[in-house]
Amino acid sequence: MNDLKTTSIFPSLTRRQLFAGTAALGAATMFPIAAWADGSRLNVRAYLEPDDYDPLDASGFLEELLYGCIYRKLIQYVPGEEWDWQLDLAETIEQASPTTITFTLKEGQMWSDGFGEITAEDVKFSMDRHMVEENNSRIKPDLGTFTHVEVTGRYSGIIHMERPFAPIWTIALPYLAGTVICKEAVEAAGGKITTAVPPAVSGPYRVVEHRLGERWVLERNPDFSGDPAEFERVDLIVVVDDSAAEIAKDAGDVDFTSIGAGSVQRLRENPPAGAEMTVHPALFYHWVGLNVQNPKFEDIRVRQAIMHAIDVPSIMQAAFFDVAEPSTGIIAPGLIGHRPATQIPPQADFARARELLDEAGIDRLELKLDVLNNVTHTTTAQVMQAMMAQAGIDLNIEVHESGSFWSLGVAADGDRWKDLELTIKRFSMTPDPYYATAWFVSDQIGDWNWEQFSNEEFDRLHDEALSETDPEKRDEMYRRMQDLMEESGGYRFLTHGVTANLFADSIIPATRPDGQPMVQFFRRA
Amino acid sequence: MLQYTFQRVLLALAIIVVAISALFTIMITLPGDPTTVLLGPRATPELRAAFRANMGLDDPVLVQIANFWGRVLRGDLGTDYNRNRPVAEAVFSALPHTMALVFGAIFWSATLGILLGAFSADNRNSWLDRVSGILSVGFIAAPSFVVALYSLLLFSVTLRWFPTIGAGEPGDLGSRLYHLALPSFAIGLAWVGYVARIVRASMLETLGENYIRTARAFGLSRRKVIYNYALRVAILPAVQVLGVGIGGMLSSAVFAEIVFSRPGIGSLIYDSVSGRNYPVVMGSMLVAIGFFVTCALIADLVNAALDPRQRVK
Amino acid sequence: MGHFKHTLLGRLLADPMAVFAMLIISGLVLVALFADAISPHNYAEMNLVDRFAPPSSTYWLGTDNLGRDTFSRLAQGSRIALYVALVAVSISGTIGLILGMIAGFGPRWLDNVLLFIFDTLRAYPTIILALALAALLPRGLSTVIIVVVITSFSEYGRVVRTQTLSLKNAEFILAERAMGASSARIVFHHILPNVLGPFFILAAMNLPVVITIEAGMSFLGIGVPPGTPSWGATLKDGFDFIRTTPWIIVAGGLPLILVTLGFTFLGEALRDQLDPKLRKSR
Repeated sequence: MNDLKTTSIFPSLTRRQLFAGTAALGAATMFPIAAWADGSRLNVRAYLEPDDYDPLDASGFLEELLYGCIYRKLIQYVPGEEWDWQLDLAETIEQASPTTITFTLKEGQMWSDGFGEITAEDVKFSMDRHMVEENNSRIKPDLGTFTHVEVTGRYSGIIHMERPFAPIWTIALPYLAGTVICKEAVEAAGGKITTAVPPAVSGPYRVVEHRLGERWVLERNPDFSGDPAEFERVDLIVVVDDSAAEIAKDAGDVDFTSIGAGSVQRLRENPPAGAEMTVHPALFYHWVGLNVQNPKFEDIRVRQAIMHAIDVPSIMQAAFFDVAEPSTGIIAPGLIGHRPATQIPPQADFARARELLDEAGIDRLELKLDVLNNVTHTTTAQVMQAMMAQAGIDLNIEVHESGSFWSLGVAADGDRWKDLELTIKRFSMTPDPYYATAWFVSDQIGDWNWEQFSNEEFDRLHDEALSETDPEKRDEMYRRMQDLMEESGGYRFLTHGVTANLFADSIIPATRPDGQPMVQFFRRA
Repeated sequence: MLQYTFQRVLLALAIIVVAISALFTIMITLPGDPTTVLLGPRATPELRAAFRANMGLDDPVLVQIANFWGRVLRGDLGTDYNRNRPVAEAVFSALPHTMALVFGAIFWSATLGILLGAFSADNRNSWLDRVSGILSVGFIAAPSFVVALYSLLLFSVTLRWFPTIGAGEPGDLGSRLYHLALPSFAIGLAWVGYVARIVRASMLETLGENYIRTARAFGLSRRKVIYNYALRVAILPAVQVLGVGIGGMLSSAVFAEIVFSRPGIGSLIYDSVSGRNYPVVMGSMLVAIGFFVTCALIADLVNAALDPRQRVK
Repeated sequence: MGHFKHTLLGRLLADPMAVFAMLIISGLVLVALFADAISPHNYAEMNLVDRFAPPSSTYWLGTDNLGRDTFSRLAQGSRIALYVALVAVSISGTIGLILGMIAGFGPRWLDNVLLFIFDTLRAYPTIILALALAALLPRGLSTVIIVVVITSFSEYGRVVRTQTLSLKNAEFILAERAMGASSARIVFHHILPNVLGPFFILAAMNLPVVITIEAGMSFLGIGVPPGTPSWGATLKDGFDFIRTTPWIIVAGGLPLILVTLGFTFLGEALRDQLDPKLRKSR
């Protein structure tokens, strides 16, 4: 009988250097060793469909779920509770100077389909193509100040950057932008991967087919240079709705799935047989944003009053089922730049809010809140509406589906961005603070900076911090940036959320610290 | 009959053209730029501009409509820029699933409905008739998405008689049918009620007609009268209702595909409307409406062929 | 007309199904009128501690994800359902009635144009058109009504048109024309009363469809604003948390089923009474 194991894992706030790269694991120990090579299947749920065949077009984590199985990189994340990386294709890799990284490859790592050995030319091809204008690479921003790869030998090369770019270690090399593809095969196919079954793969699995709208079918890659993959067949099954995914898991149609926060408490109390659940702190950041340029909010006391009228613990209880914790900013615990506390406490103070409004000479305030059409945010909105009434604030909720919502703050889509008042948003995140502050600089007004927050010091700090090599200094800078955001009265930070995973106890999954699965490392129990 | 057919076909084509063009215009005037949704936080203004140019979003509306139809006539349903693949690929791989769902639903509703309706008419005004009548109405009453949810919970999760997700293994007809059974039943159930009632009502009406009473007067047995004459005539409105019902079934299919996590035109349309993925919306709508209008047309022609009185001129 | 109505009502009351239907409908109207009085709790009051509760003496049908009393919400929801049903059916029915009579009685070219419009509108699967329209218009009950009207009036139009066409060449109409009666007089005095029978049957059967469209739209999240206790919105809340408790969906589906049953029975009873051929064969 298996007891339900629920581990709520919150990494401690240590000031360790991110990605010290201590673990120099060889390829043999990184990929699981299959004791038996008999037939075995794994079904993993994907909450969106990975549908970009070429890394140039990748949109986000779902593509990484796929690429992680079929391609290799210089380095990969280490599955577990703390953010770290490990060697994959690279034999050695180190920061030679602030703007260069030298690497050597392991020899004898092979491509499938007879395309021979993986060489430094493949690495150059894979990374340089993101910088080519015509390719319209969607993930080019992840590479920051990267310029090109210089090939110095069959198995060696140098990665060049224009200015120091610390995040290259944390969000580029071990993630989408660091995916290495086969130069010879892709060039023969016309320079871009346009088919579901790629011309050549290097990972533990290879693609059998992509059933559009349904699933990706992968099988063990016989040409893989490590030990044979754990499973003979892996299906990445697309199930968008969390409830449906849970049902599928119950019925045995999937072995591993993420589930909604609402199910966590219930599963803790009534653990299903043969299953385990783990809860991980996510990297996302949810917040209530206020358009500081809207004439209604000209007086800072009005903005502060609104901030005081939002009770974060109630929202955690109602919308996040008490599994998530109130956040202190946009950078999650465990990353450089995480702030220990907020200036305004997460609990609401309606008396103070009322006081501030009186001082500003406002009797009754009517506000508009735009939210996305999803349960978590509409619930948050309803709770806010009920509570703000206590401070004499009338909140009107407007719900939008994703197409309409995500263009609300975009200047190119019309003038709605000027009239924005309050919005609730969630942004996705990679394990580097640079990727969070990037959206709140002055340049981003009319794009992703819906709060129209514009602060010179903030802009300057953001620019300096991405090149700063001393982690302690970086930490200070990112904390200061979040202080500035809060002081502007335009941000009430809610939470980073959680990722809860439910899986059959016949498998041992491998996830990043934020709970996202790395299927290439899954094993049988 | 030939002239009638020709006219109806022409009309059907005109309807499709107008319906799709009107929808196209609505889509374009919607707030929300596809580039923002599709490209996400990484989109630079240059990238967005490139996508807009590629999708032709900067041209005037009429030009865009003309371009769309021009492409369609050449067999090109457009390019899905989200996936850099032809829209036709997404649409035609989704369409068979929805068609299977709809035809499965028609199968359930036609067989169960005609049986129930004929049975009621045969036993009219008895308690059997009453019970069937109530059942029929009961089937119609429940919204199809509630039926879908209850079926899923009861038959898939609790009893484990049917699978929960997907459409089954390709090439394996048995698996396909197994995955189809429950969702198509959930959609078809409402129509069992409609068909049964239409069949019953129409049969009763026919039974009151002059020519039926004449047949009775000539000594034909009641049973024969019902099953040879009335039922045949009653099938007409059943065909009519089902021909119209396909539109409703497409709506129900949206819910069924979401609840049962099946691929199909319904979920494709829902996702692409939310995502302002215009090329996919237009391509899938064209195919969905085309399919529906064609079915209605066929029902209409069958109707007219079987009963010349229906050809209103 | 008065004499006719009196007889109709009398005959309706003799039909047990019709009685049942009328009981349900009057029940709906009463609940809608007295929703506040019969609700044990304020429908918007949140008690997070008590959320997802099963039915009990405090919460007759349990609570939802924010600890709001489901029964009170459903009672409030009856107001919304009734409002949407009456307004939408009145508007689309009126439009359809007028256009249908014009199409049936007017010149051929006008008939073709109107018929073409009806057919084109019917070419859209309802929820698809709802999605497109709801995204274009501001969210809210008015939008739901607009969507319902646009997707429904053509049905009324067609039925009325068919009825008008068949009456157009009836003997008594031809006689009226021969006597020099104007078209307007013929339409309003002779065609309209004879068209109202099928029209009301359609309206009675269309009411539950309208309520269901609103429920469907709210279920997909494109209907009423969040917090509004429409029956469809309650179903959506229930669906989102179907794994936590089945009660919200079970309770939420009940009023919908009852009401649609009621109106459909009524429509059926009306058809039985108003169709002369059927009456004779009973």
